[in-house]
Order: sequence, then structure tokens, then C-alpha cells
Amino acid sequence: MVTVTINVNGEKRTASVPPETSLLRMLRDSLNLTGAKLGCDVGDCGACTVIVDGKPVNSCLMLAAQADGRTVLTIEGLATADRLHPIQKAFENYGALQCGFCGPGVLMSAKALLDENPNPSVPEIRDALGGNLCRCTGYSKMIEAIQVAARAMRGEPAAKTA
Amino acid sequence: MRGFELVTAKDSRHAVALLAQHSASAKVRVIAGGTDLMADLHFSSHIPDVVVDISRAEDLKNIAITEEGLSIGALVTHTQIMRSPLIRDMFPALVDAAHTIGAVQTRNLGTLGGNLVTGVPSMDSGPTLVALEAVVSIAGPAGRRQVPLAEFWLGPRKTVLKPDELLAEIIIPKQNLNKPTHFLKFGLRKGQALALVNVASSFRVDWGKNVFVAPRIALGAVAPKVIRALKAEAFLEGRTVTPEIMAEAGQVAVGDAKPISDFRASAEYRKDLVAVLTKRTLEGAYELAKAKR
Amino acid sequence: MDKKPDVAEKATPLETLQETDRILTVPALAPLVTYPLEVLVPEARQQTPAVGQRATRQDGRLHGLGQTKYIDDWYFPGMLFAKIKRAGVASARIKSIDTKEAEAMPGVVAVITGKDIPCNSFGPSLKDQPVLADTRVFHAGDGVAAVAAVTEQIAAEALDKIKVEYEVLTPVLDPLESLKLETPGVHAPNANIYGHKVIKKGDVEKAFAESYQVFEGTFRTQMVEHVPLEPHATIAMWDANGRVSIYSTLGRITMGRADVARTLGIPMSRIRMIATIVGGNFGGKNEITTEPALALLSKKTGRPVKCTFTRPEEFYASTTRHPLIMDYKTGVTKEGKILGRKIRLVLDGGAYCSWSETTLAKACILSTGPYNIENLYAEAFVVYTNKTMTGAMRGFGVPQVCFAHESHMDDIATALNIDPLDIRLLNAFEEGSLSPTSQKLQSVVVKESLLQAAQRFGWNTNGNGKGNGAKS
Repeated sequence: MVTVTINVNGEKRTASVPPETSLLRMLRDSLNLTGAKLGCDVGDCGACTVIVDGKPVNSCLMLAAQADGRTVLTIEGLATADRLHPIQKAFENYGALQCGFCGPGVLMSAKALLDENPNPSVPEIRDALGGNLCRCTGYSKMIEAIQVAARAMRGEPAAKTA
Repeated sequence: MRGFELVTAKDSRHAVALLAQHSASAKVRVIAGGTDLMADLHFSSHIPDVVVDISRAEDLKNIAITEEGLSIGALVTHTQIMRSPLIRDMFPALVDAAHTIGAVQTRNLGTLGGNLVTGVPSMDSGPTLVALEAVVSIAGPAGRRQVPLAEFWLGPRKTVLKPDELLAEIIIPKQNLNKPTHFLKFGLRKGQALALVNVASSFRVDWGKNVFVAPRIALGAVAPKVIRALKAEAFLEGRTVTPEIMAEAGQVAVGDAKPISDFRASAEYRKDLVAVLTKRTLEGAYELAKAKR
Repeated sequence: MDKKPDVAEKATPLETLQETDRILTVPALAPLVTYPLEVLVPEARQQTPAVGQRATRQDGRLHGLGQTKYIDDWYFPGMLFAKIKRAGVASARIKSIDTKEAEAMPGVVAVITGKDIPCNSFGPSLKDQPVLADTRVFHAGDGVAAVAAVTEQIAAEALDKIKVEYEVLTPVLDPLESLKLETPGVHAPNANIYGHKVIKKGDVEKAFAESYQVFEGTFRTQMVEHVPLEPHATIAMWDANGRVSIYSTLGRITMGRADVARTLGIPMSRIRMIATIVGGNFGGKNEITTEPALALLSKKTGRPVKCTFTRPEEFYASTTRHPLIMDYKTGVTKEGKILGRKIRLVLDGGAYCSWSETTLAKACILSTGPYNIENLYAEAFVVYTNKTMTGAMRGFGVPQVCFAHESHMDDIATALNIDPLDIRLLNAFEEGSLSPTSQKLQSVVVKESLLQAAQRFGWNTNGNGKGNGAKS
């Protein structure tokens, strides 16, 4: 067993897991953070995307031990008790998710994008979401919602009521 | 996934020591970014006894100009390559190649060293480095040894690495710094796709005579490993730089390729791609040469 | 904790086993999640017009917060994990299954095989699908055993320890081969052709004789997997009243309940099926998969048991879209008016019937396309092959035939040098047209839609009838 301590969503959490445990399994099975999903377990679908030390990664490809000492942000860490994150609000308003399974992964990729690039173009948004597969929506509303959220995060008024 | 013992290396020297220690008596594998290994292990029945985690070896994460040339540490991720000001300025082809690998998440984890060591013939980081005549520095118990990258692979997924050795650095030799190079990949999708064919072309121009100088063309996914298109290179050396010559070189390069047919594409289609991508990468490198003149 | 858990041999005292169990059980932690507690209360006695208002999806809030609980997000104290051993061979007779080594593995709590299923057959129409293959394997994804263990990893390892002896048989993989009656029956003594439909109208041979030209074409489509982002997942548990609760990604829970009742031989009143937000279905979660097996494992172990499909299992052990081989023969006038059409469809019906009968019917009825055809003969067959089960997937056979009849129409237009839009306008349904099965159609807007679309796309037809994109 290895002891892994991560700073997840602002809190220090520790778990003792078998060495072959991925970060994804540790988050879901040991820390009860089931937001990140298991869609393929081989880093193709992106449903497991979380942000580690500021970078979006496939948590199914990272050993939990490799995350020891690192900062992890999951979907559960986006909203606060007072408000939704602007991206979550925009996704809700635009109906960007259908079955919702890809949602946590897409939202984390979107957050990572906007943290670095506050005014992304549509091709840049597509590139940022290239590692998140969605079988329901066709992505178009996600792209709209991300642009709206980006605008809100830059403090600009909405372009027009959609 | 089945269990194994996990040991974490503090730096490259410690990693080599761990490899030497364990590989004598056990099946050992190395994990860096995990993008190849974890996918492999999840559905494999060949689970190693020991996994050596080298992801914390900071000394393998540098990008710098040294007296040998441009040195890229094996643990540099594809994202870091894309963002390195030095690489963006000197070798945009490496940036292009890195950008075609997987997706944002896999590029944040995946390393250049890992991509080279996994050794699939369609690897996207291979052709540009082979065209630039890169050399790899391998760390072992006795110290470092260097091998030309083109000779690093013995075949698909097989390298010259011994069980107690680690790929430490990739060096683009001094004489090829700033050499105009262009890379193109053709996959069935724009993202998360393996290359059907990928090509890199690199050459300088003798502007007085307008001829190719030291042309190097590397082809991926059309042989058991990344290869140099030697016939095409010989055809170009000393020839005038014109669009027609570049197109013809593409046709010659087809003779250098030995593609197979699989469910992604037929050998014939791949040969077509070799001709077109060779021509286009030659054109791209020429544009770069003109811009940097 | 720093000591390695002692997942030990069976001779170990109960206390050690209980300690092991305690270590490996997921602790019932309260989620460390903060979320907005904004409760929206509508203003009392306020009449608001609903039509025209923006409506947000009810699940949008939970999805965005990552709080939607899919089946795999449920954990119950003491829960075990199950894995299914897949045959890996397309057609075989099972000579023996030895589970002793797997059962003896530390951490393995129970193993079952097809023999343990009280009534080992189910299906939406034909009851030809086993819960776990018992004597015969009909496709490589057939389950032959199920293991419940304290961790998913141990369950997966136990699968390797189950020894199955197969007498490998020659599989039937080509639906056209299967169609030939001489081919040995996949489900012998039953015929390979397990569904057949004919639609006949007028006299198609006479129509061909009177045609200016007769065109033929064969079109094929491939097997497609739904790839919902959420793999199949099921959890089963019993209570002391002898009732089983099954949490499942299953879409059709009332039918599922009936299937579980049948396979387990218990009354439906003893079965609770609980479904929740599903992570994508598209038809692939329309029938039970592991539910009866998990119910039995849960009964045998006395604990909740969960099973999730791996992504590869989604491809070879769950239903897929029927591949179709479609032969079209159409007789037309010089202007392109269809006088008669003859169609033969062969559906690759996979190893089990699943939703093939519905697919057969829809494909056959809609195979002609939205065109007025007076003389018609459409015959459709669905045949068994030793391949992955083909079942329901968005469209039930219609996407396949649509590809065929539209491609065929384009081929005819090109050959006759007619604009592909014009040939469709000439033949399309209108108000009151009769469908191939003589249903009088209402609210028909095919031509209006085509014309509007043509205008919006900038489809440009010039004098001699060739439009943009005729050859694209």
C-alpha cells in the first residue's frame, strides 16, 4: 500500500491505496469524489479529466502515487456555497449537457482553458475540448456556453440575450 | 489492473540505480507520464513486478542550448515543447508535431522520451527529430552513452535500451540548429488520431545557386520504424529548389517507403500520402527558410 | 494505515477476514463538497405564461456540479465487485468449466456459471439469449462465468483462474453465407433465418418491363457501437424479505423486471428495478445484461454486488447496430419517375435476436424511401451469425436503408443526367400519399422541406437540370 496525500479542492486529504491505483480510482473510491467519471480507463474519452497543478490531465492515466503532494481540482471544487462557477452557470443556461456524463471532464477542460486564455477563439475552444468525447450533444452549445462564460469572467456585459 | 511494487526515483541517477537493482530479478517497467504505460497495463496480462516512477526526476525536464546543440530532457512534456520559447523560435516543426499528439490532457502528461521509447512507427515526435539527425543520450550504471536516434529503434516497440538503462536526453546537433524544418501528419481525425503517415523535411538553401543543401526527409508509419527517405534526399542534394523538383522528390520518397495495409488505410493510400506530404513539407521548410533568411 | 492488508487464505480465522473486509470496504465518508443552496421559490399567486419562456433542463444544475449520481457512483457498505468471463471464441461447445481455483482465491467470495441460472434464456422477443452461456457459446462476448470479489482487481484476476474447455466450432460470420439454407444453423436446429418480412404492392416485374431503364445497386453498412460515455453498470442487493433491488443503467426497467423474474424464477413482486440518470443509451441499454447474474451473486454472498462493463466489453459484449446488405433494383421512366422498385435486405442479426424483429420491420417498411412507388416488392431477412449481438440503436434499421435508397437515387440521377433534387421532387410523397404498407400519410411536407433547404443551401439548378454537388 502507498500513502498518498493530495490537496484536493482546497483540502488536504490522505488515502492508503494499492500502488497500481490510478488517481481516478482514488478520487472516486477512497475520497468519495465521484464527479470524475470512468469512461474508458485508457485516456481516450476524457471523462476523468481533473486539474493537477494547474493542468488538465486524464486522472485514469496518473498513478495516485504520482499525485502525492500535488494540488488537484475536481468538478466538486468549482462551485462555492454561494455561487456556481460562471462556466457551470453558462452550461446550465445554455443546456450544454444532456446525459451529463462527459460534463465534469468538459467543465474541467473549459476551466483550464479559460484560466490560461481568457478570450479563446472557437478553434481554440475546439482544441481545448479535443480530449473530451461527448456522444450526446455535438458540442455546439458547450462552445457557446464557454464563450459566454469567458465574457462573464472578463467582466464584460453579455453580447445579446441568446 | 493487477498489482505491482512501485518505487519512486528522486532523479535520473537514482532511477538508473533502481532499474539496475530491480531488473536483474524482476520484470520492470518505467512510468513517466503514464499515457502509454497505464493504457497498456489496464487490459494487459503481462503486468510487471516493479514499476519505477521517474516522473519526479527534475533533472530530466530541461530544455537548453548546450555545447552539443539543443538538449531536450526526456521528461519534457509535449505541452512544454509547444510552449518553449526556444523551440518555438528555432524548430516550429517540433511544436507542430507535439500539437498533433493526442489531446490537451495527454499532452500535459505525455513526455517526449516516453513517445520515443514506446517506439510505435507512427510516433509523431520521431520524424522531425530524425530529419534533424538527433542523437539520444542514454543513462546507465556506467554513465552516459549516445546513439543516433535513427538507430535507437530496432523495430516496432523495440529499442536498444538495456533493462538497466534510461533515455535521458534528446540532442539536436549544433550544426542543425535553426535548420528550416516542416512536419505534417495525416490522421483520420484532427485530434486523438494515429498517423496514417507522418513526414518531416529539413534542408538549408544555398541562396547563391538556389539549391538544396543537406536535405533530410524522415518518414513515419511506413516502415517498422521511422526511416530516412535516402533516395529522395540523394535526389535533392545539389538540385535547384523549384516546386517541380519538390513534387518529384515526393514521388522518389515513395520508393523509400514500405507501408503495410491495415484497417486504417491501404499501403497504396499510404504511398500516395508519402508523395503528397513529402512535397508539402519540403514546401513548408522552404517557406521557413525564406522567412528566416 | 501502513500495514499491508492480509487478504489471506480461507483457513484464516473469521476475525482476520472481517478485519480485511473492514480495511477494503469503502468508508462511509460524508462528501467534502460545498454547493450553492439557493432554493428557487416561485412567487405565490403569480401567473406566468409558460410558452415562450426559456426552460432549463432539470438535470442541468446537478450535471454542472458533478453531483448527478450515475449507477457507478453508488457505493454500498460491504459491496462486492463482479466481473464476467467472456468466451473469446465465436462459436464453441462448452465441454467443462472449472471454477475451483478461482473460488479458492483470497478475496473471491462467489463464482457462478450458466448452470446456476434457474431459467437461462431471455430476450425482448425470441428468448434465445442466455444470462451466462451454459452448453454453447454463440459469440466471443458471451459470458461464461461471473465472479464476485472484494475488489474489482481481484475479480478480474479470478477470471484468469477459471478454466473453460471449449470444443471450437466453425463460426458463421458472413450474413450472406448464413442466408443460404445449407449453412449449418447457428442456433441449430432452429433455422439461421429468424425473421422474414415481405411487402408487396402491384406488379414489380411488369413495371420493370415497362421502364425506360432499370438500375441495380448493392449497398452495405457496418456494425456500429453506441459508445455511450457511461459503460453499463448494475448493482444488486437483497433484503430479508426475499426481495432483490437492482440498480441498473437499463433503459427499459419494466421489461427488465420481467426478464429478471423469468430468469431467476421468482415473482415480479419480489423485484425492484431502480434506474436513474443514464450516461447515454441510444438503444444500447434497452435490455438486461448482467442483472440476473448479479442478483444470484448477491444472493449467494449476502452482500451488494456491483458490475461495470469495461470499454472493450461495450464493444463486444453489448448490443450493436445491425449491418445491412441491401440490394436495390429500380425501374424508371426517362424523366426519372419510379415505376417499380425491388429490394432485398439482409440484416446481420448477430448471435441473439435482441431487437432484430423491430429493426427488420422498420427497415423493410421504410426501405423504399419517401417516394411514391406503385409497384413494389421488398423482402427482408434477418439471420444469425456468430458475431456480437445486434439490437436497438437510434433508427432501428432506418439509417441503413436511408443510406441505400438515397445513394441509389443519386446514382440514377447521375446516369440519367437529371438534377438529384429534381428527381426527388418528381417522386416524393405528398399529402395523402400511401406508404409502402398502404398507410395514408398526413402532414406531409417532404417537397416543401426540400425546396426550402435548396433555397437556403443555395442549390442552383440551371436549364439542363444539373445541380451543384451532383457528383460530390
